[in-house]
Amino acid sequence: MDSHVLDTLIARYEAEEGRLLGILSEIQEQEGYIPHDLLLMLSEKLGIRLSRLYSLVTFYSFFSLQPIGEHVITVCMGTACHVKGAEAVLAALEQHLGIEAGATQDGKFSVTTKDNQFTVTIARCFGACSIAPVLSVDGNLFGYATPENLPAILAGYGWREHAD
Amino acid sequence: MTHGSSEQNDVPEKPVIITINGRPCRAGKGETVLAVAIREGIPVPHLCHEESLAPYGACRLCLVEAGKPGKTEMTTACTLKAADGLEVITDTPQIVKHRSILFELYLAEAPKSEVIKEMAARYGVTKTRFLKKMETDDPLSEKCVLCGLCVRVCNEIMGAGAINFINRGPYTVVNTPFLEPSADCYGCGACVKVCPTHAVVMEEAGSERVMRSWSGTRVPLAACSCCGMYYAPRELAARTLAALDPHLDQDLAGLCPACRGKRIAEREILARQGGAGNHA
Ligand code: SF4
Ligand code: FES
Ligand code: FES
Repeated sequence: MDSHVLDTLIARYEAEEGRLLGILSEIQEQEGYIPHDLLLMLSEKLGIRLSRLYSLVTFYSFFSLQPIGEHVITVCMGTACHVKGAEAVLAALEQHLGIEAGATQDGKFSVTTKDNQFTVTIARCFGACSIAPVLSVDGNLFGYATPENLPAILAGYGWREHAD
Repeated sequence: MTHGSSEQNDVPEKPVIITINGRPCRAGKGETVLAVAIREGIPVPHLCHEESLAPYGACRLCLVEAGKPGKTEMTTACTLKAADGLEVITDTPQIVKHRSILFELYLAEAPKSEVIKEMAARYGVTKTRFLKKMETDDPLSEKCVLCGLCVRVCNEIMGAGAINFINRGPYTVVNTPFLEPSADCYGCGACVKVCPTHAVVMEEAGSERVMRSWSGTRVPLAACSCCGMYYAPRELAARTLAALDPHLDQDLAGLCPACRGKRIAEREILARQGGAGNHA
């Protein structure tokens, strides 16, 4: 998104009410994340301090400051899934994708792999507790997930076990 | 403030009298109960109160029991306006209980803060049952209680807007956007002054001021044109000078406060001696 596109986007938000969040969510949707330089540009164009915009963007989990990977994996950490061993699934997932252990635990920050293929986040209950533990990849639900059947699920999205 | 003229519009009113712990206290119009208590020397613990900012009620430590006899409620003294006949008690058993739990929470939130430790100890609270926040390399040295005063003074009073809250819930911190040095910071140090727990670190390094807590933001300082001492952030000094009305004489503008005082005194003496006819 360049300066001109941003101008037309801003122009569509006349009313003060909901303006900032509206503009930011459009950037998030179009870019897949909130790029650093766009946030700076927005701050200049609107005359709103960068610190304020950054505060908003980091407050809502809808926004991401990092590009989202090709595939988004959401692991349910709701009560039922937790009881059925979601934690082990998450740990195995982090290991398979080479993500630092525990990096996705707090639920606020999604973590993306270095090759930009996968983004991992956690959620609280998909409403599919009967097939717990559950994870979703790009919106497709996988029930009865285990550390053992994880590689098969991932392989469906282009993941390959590393030779090492 | 003490000049009668500034209050000329106020019709002399019946003074507002409130009682705090049974002691009658005179209160100004619109004054808060906490402000009255502070003036009267009645101890009410507080963290997020700052005279120059609007009441905020964030820290909850200033809880008091207030109302008319038989009809009281617990509320924060910093947001409660003094009204005639109001009766306030600062330490009921219930308040002490609540406050003690708050102290435990603050001990966990800001485990390195001596200010909190001392405040809590006065209520006999020396330990916390909550999980202490532990963060090595915390730019606010594990002392921040997220009262928001630095953010508000930076935004509302200085108009710099260099810092703000970041993240949400237990991950909330105060810092500069992207945790990068801020281009908006004047280096005024107002945040350092208002921080109730002395969490904000600022140091002088030669010709620069370094805001350690704010991602190492560096601000150039102005040197006194006479003695060479660095005396204020350059941009802030320029802004302040530009805002002065009437303007400061050219030969006083670049001086540090000490040299400026000296120069003014010298002029005064010269003028008295009938020397240089330098009158404006
Ligand atoms: S740094 Fe100090 S003033 Fe700022 S939020 Fe933390 S405790 Fe309050
Ligand atoms: S707890 Fe995971 S789907 Fe309900
Ligand atoms: S001083 Fe009243 S709530 Fe903080």
